[in-house]
Amino acid sequence: MTNVSSDLIWEITRQNNSFLFKRRGNGGIQLSRDPLNPVNKQSRKYNGFVNEKAVGVQPAEKGGVVVTTKNAKKVNTPAASYSTSTIGPNTSNRKTYKAIANITSKNSYRPDIRAEAIARASAIKLSQRPKKDAAESKPRGAKAKKTEESA
Amino acid sequence: MVAAKKHVAIVKKHPKRFNRHQSDRFKCVDPSWRKPKGIDNAVRRRFKGRPVMPKIGYGSNKKTRHLMPSGHKAFLVNNTRDVDILLMHNRTYAAEIAHAVSSRKRVEIIARAKQLGVKVTNAKAKVTTEA
Repeated sequence: MTNVSSDLIWEITRQNNSFLFKRRGNGGIQLSRDPLNPVNKQSRKYNGFVNEKAVGVQPAEKGGVVVTTKNAKKVNTPAASYSTSTIGPNTSNRKTYKAIANITSKNSYRPDIRAEAIARASAIKLSQRPKKDAAESKPRGAKAKKTEESA
Repeated sequence: MVAAKKHVAIVKKHPKRFNRHQSDRFKCVDPSWRKPKGIDNAVRRRFKGRPVMPKIGYGSNKKTRHLMPSGHKAFLVNNTRDVDILLMHNRTYAAEIAHAVSSRKRVEIIARAKQLGVKVTNAKAKVTTEA
């Protein structure tokens, strides 16, 4: 356990912290760059650096996802307080989600952000799939006539 | 690219600009809005047939404020790391590349946005070449 409560950390850092991403336009947007924040929202619930227990889902280097969790008992030894598990690109989506559901909800670790962690893994997996190139636009109207004549 | 979330219809109550009274008559009067203050001013007294003055009632619905016609809100990005933040928000925010970003980096940003399914509002700027 820490000497400083999560609530105190949150009250001190909610206005400004290194992960916070503020945009002045469009009514003021605030997002969080925290790797342990599964939805990148600036909030007490989702920000990983505030909570003793947090789940982060990031893309792995060679495809697949890396799930990071915080160990509440090792808060005073930062290097040892994170545990990661990599779920490779060849694991099926359903098994990936099941694995994340187990990590987040087993022993009631953080069941409240299970759905968000899985949604993030899903979005990452989707982004790792090859994307189709946009279809080349065909000339229409007067331009089409011109190209036809020259061809 | 993913379509934006469903939203109530965007209604602009006064799509035209509010121009300063008599800015159409004198070139030294700038069109930027200034409230008329004169004792006899017909616009200030809200006479019939006179231009209307801006007021809070012309504000947009809170739910559609700052929305683009596509239903996204613009989010300024400078690099690919900024685009990564929008991974879980590609139905709410669209990336807008900052004006000072070079064309080489724009290509990288656009490629990353495509992977994440993030809409880029100014994807053609500085990138397209003359055929």
